[in-house]
Amino acid sequence: MTTTMNRPAQRRGLVDRLYGLLRAIPTWVLWTIVVIWSLPSVSLFLNSWRARDAQRNSGWWTIGPDDLTLANYDYIFNASAASTIGESLLSSMAIAVPATIIPIAIATFAAYAFAWIDFKGRKVLFIATVSLLAIPLQVALIPLLQMYVSGAHFTIPWLDKTVTIVPDFDLVNTSTAVWLTHTGFALPFAIFLLHNYISSLPRDVFEAARIDGADHFTIFWRLVLPLSVPVLAAFGIFQFLWTWNDFLIANTMAGTNPEARPTTIFIATLAGDFGSNEHLLPAAAFVQAFIPLVVFFALQRYFVRGLLAGSVKG
Amino acid sequence: MVGDIAGKFVSTLITVVIAVAVSGGVWVGANLLFNQVRTAYVRYRALAWGACGFGVGVLFSGNQITAGSISDGGGLSSFGAWVWLPLVTAVAVGAVGAVLAVITEPLIRHVVGVIGLGAAGGVLGGLVRSEWRPDVAPVALIVITLVVAAIPAATAIVTRRDPLPGALSGAALGWVIGAWGVPDLGDGSSVWSVIAVAVPGALIGLRAARSPIADRAERNRIDARSRAVVFLGPALLFIFGALVVPTIRTVYLSLLDRDSEEFVWFSNYVTIFRDPKAIDLTMWSSMFTSRLFWIGIVLLVVFVVLGVRDRRQTGRVVELGSAGMGPLLVGGVLVAFAVFTTLRGTLINNLWWVLAVTLFSTSLGLAIAVLADGARFERVAKAVIFMPMAISLVGASVVWRFMYIARDSSKSQTGVMNALWVGLGRLSTGDGLPTLIVGVLVLVLLLALVVAVARRLSRGEPARAAAPAVVAVLLGWFAWRYWGVTGGGVGGFRFNDAGVQLADPINFIQEPPFNNFWLMVVLIWIQTGFAMVILSAAIKAVPTELIEAARVDGADDTQIFWRVTLPQIATTIGVVVTTLIVLVMKVFDIVKVMTNGNFGTEVLANNMYREAFSNFNTGVGAALAALIFLSVVPVMFINIRRMQRES
Repeated sequence: MTTTMNRPAQRRGLVDRLYGLLRAIPTWVLWTIVVIWSLPSVSLFLNSWRARDAQRNSGWWTIGPDDLTLANYDYIFNASAASTIGESLLSSMAIAVPATIIPIAIATFAAYAFAWIDFKGRKVLFIATVSLLAIPLQVALIPLLQMYVSGAHFTIPWLDKTVTIVPDFDLVNTSTAVWLTHTGFALPFAIFLLHNYISSLPRDVFEAARIDGADHFTIFWRLVLPLSVPVLAAFGIFQFLWTWNDFLIANTMAGTNPEARPTTIFIATLAGDFGSNEHLLPAAAFVQAFIPLVVFFALQRYFVRGLLAGSVKG
Repeated sequence: MVGDIAGKFVSTLITVVIAVAVSGGVWVGANLLFNQVRTAYVRYRALAWGACGFGVGVLFSGNQITAGSISDGGGLSSFGAWVWLPLVTAVAVGAVGAVLAVITEPLIRHVVGVIGLGAAGGVLGGLVRSEWRPDVAPVALIVITLVVAAIPAATAIVTRRDPLPGALSGAALGWVIGAWGVPDLGDGSSVWSVIAVAVPGALIGLRAARSPIADRAERNRIDARSRAVVFLGPALLFIFGALVVPTIRTVYLSLLDRDSEEFVWFSNYVTIFRDPKAIDLTMWSSMFTSRLFWIGIVLLVVFVVLGVRDRRQTGRVVELGSAGMGPLLVGGVLVAFAVFTTLRGTLINNLWWVLAVTLFSTSLGLAIAVLADGARFERVAKAVIFMPMAISLVGASVVWRFMYIARDSSKSQTGVMNALWVGLGRLSTGDGLPTLIVGVLVLVLLLALVVAVARRLSRGEPARAAAPAVVAVLLGWFAWRYWGVTGGGVGGFRFNDAGVQLADPINFIQEPPFNNFWLMVVLIWIQTGFAMVILSAAIKAVPTELIEAARVDGADDTQIFWRVTLPQIATTIGVVVTTLIVLVMKVFDIVKVMTNGNFGTEVLANNMYREAFSNFNTGVGAALAALIFLSVVPVMFINIRRMQRES
């Protein structure tokens, strides 16, 4: 009697245990994916501390305490043949800082106007502006480069007179050209993101201020700006990472000037001469990624908030 | 060296600070000016008109059109020579504006407006230097003035408003165009140059004199409208200058030849599509010898069978979570990959990129979001998956180049992928204890999967058996090869002529056509984090009541996912997919850094860059850019429609 009673109980115990293992499969899958995802970065990081010969002769997983060397970092900072990575880091800063601050200012003005100033055609203009979000930047590169090289001129049809709209400021191959371009391209997304936030601020606040006789400028300066700090931070981080990591615009507008080119171009050039400098790449790539990674891990919450506000509404 | 860098840094900083301070000052100044509209209207009018007068003065003085605007001495005297005329004009025009804001008597208004602005214009015209005086043709001038005046007047009549103000402004504009734009400059008389400036001044004065002084409502309207301009102006200026106008110009350039001299209509586009490198269909028949293709077809057949059965039961061929869904998706992807690997070319590559990156990033991101939801250390896991978003595409390409390194078979592999591949070959062909252990483990796993499939099938849950069945088939194929039933093993190995076993690494970057996919992996690695973050937030936003209700009704986790969660986050998935499509269409950095388009990996954006900036073929480069633009236009429309629905 007891044995017949026990058998199903025992079986349930075994099945339960197997079932428990099966239930744990999702967790195992998750952590396997996590390991796979971190593998490339780990291999790059470890390789950056290994000497040229070590990198060439064995995989990074053979790394030991004797292998470690600072030679790669020393070389790219002090003895690089063309220019050092320190210079290109400064160029990156000279691009990323204005390309972050200026669009934030301009887009906040515009987002406020779209959200709280009444004028005709507001909705149409807003949708038109934001629909430009999807424009691929390739489509503007050729005319913009032409403008930076020789200014913008327009020959009026029939009158046959050429009018100079933008004089030749000789901007090509300067960081100014790069951040000006970034500013233009950032605006649709910035306006969209900030508008989402600013338009959701409570209406009562604005009406009370209007009744007290405050003008738009005061409302903007005293109310909207302080209240929008979280979303400004979110966009700022997003835009900083984007401009710091950009390659296409910088390479087009300032690619041939070693004085003005950012770290992404430095690395791409290093990667271009196959073989000879391959052992420096991990160190250079890590230096380039260092600032974005610090920003990312320190301010991840804002970054995620920015992404979410931009993509998910309601 | 260090000094150079510091100097460069400081000079850049100073430029930026000055630029920001000046534009910020202008912006704040404009705001302070329009603050006066409601409280101190007369002061506002004086300042605003003064600013307009200053602008006209700058136009004349800055272009060195007037006498006295050129000074031989440098420094302060040249600045003085440049600035005195704008200041005088500002005071004169500002005074007229202030008077018109105070006096209501019509006669005085007309006299002050017409005579005041006309005289100011006449003085300006009289100062024009001889080489700028226009040689006016009176008939053309009158015709142009009338035509330009007629346009706003006609619009006003159609919309039932007073046509006179529009006609007067139009006439002033037409007069400027007719007197300064059309004729040659430098042959005219001083009389004509006086008339050419005085008349538009008088016309504008007349218009201002005839419109009544703004009342309270009108002032509020001016305030709102001017504020919209001040707040939107900078953004619209940048958007027009950097996006709208260049896009239009690119389309225009794509219709010109390589040096933008001759108009060639669509021949650049024809060149692109005729190029065998763009679409190469010559290999299409080898599709039918491709294993991917036939496995895909078999899966699609399975789907049809299951679909017919489902239709009899539920009335639908396929629905979320039904048994036929898995075979349909996997089979479809396999057939698509077979097509993309046999039909080659730039455009085909782009389509492949869009399909593979969008599909894998979204589905992997969704899977990770679901798996991590509520798991221990959820934040850590998500941060690791999300981290590649912070790395540049150039950096990511470098990272993966080290993963893909392939070295000669006589040396040890230093790239992770090839080390694993060659290691697997050595393991499966070896005869030691590790080989046996791995082999037995594979068989045990396979057995467990088969049991799971059998149990679910016997319980009448074919939908839940689909996923383990697919895994079981894959694992079965692996076990088959591993145990050497056919082919003698699996992994990177080959035998040389003497029959000695050698390592056979894969050259991931250079072996077409699958090198394309290995490049896509880089972008998938980056974008999965993006998809995961957004989908994870959407999953957490699904109302718990819905899930509780489903659970009360007896639904299990799988059913809840397919029938409750997935429909709830469908819009978000749409957002992720459209965002990724736009992003992938313009993929550039990865291809540029890893292969520069060689080995059959060319994509539109890299091709465009090469044509426009290396081959200096502006026509074809612009046409390629326009093609990238055209390909995202549908996505733009979807976005616009979604926004219209939301607002």
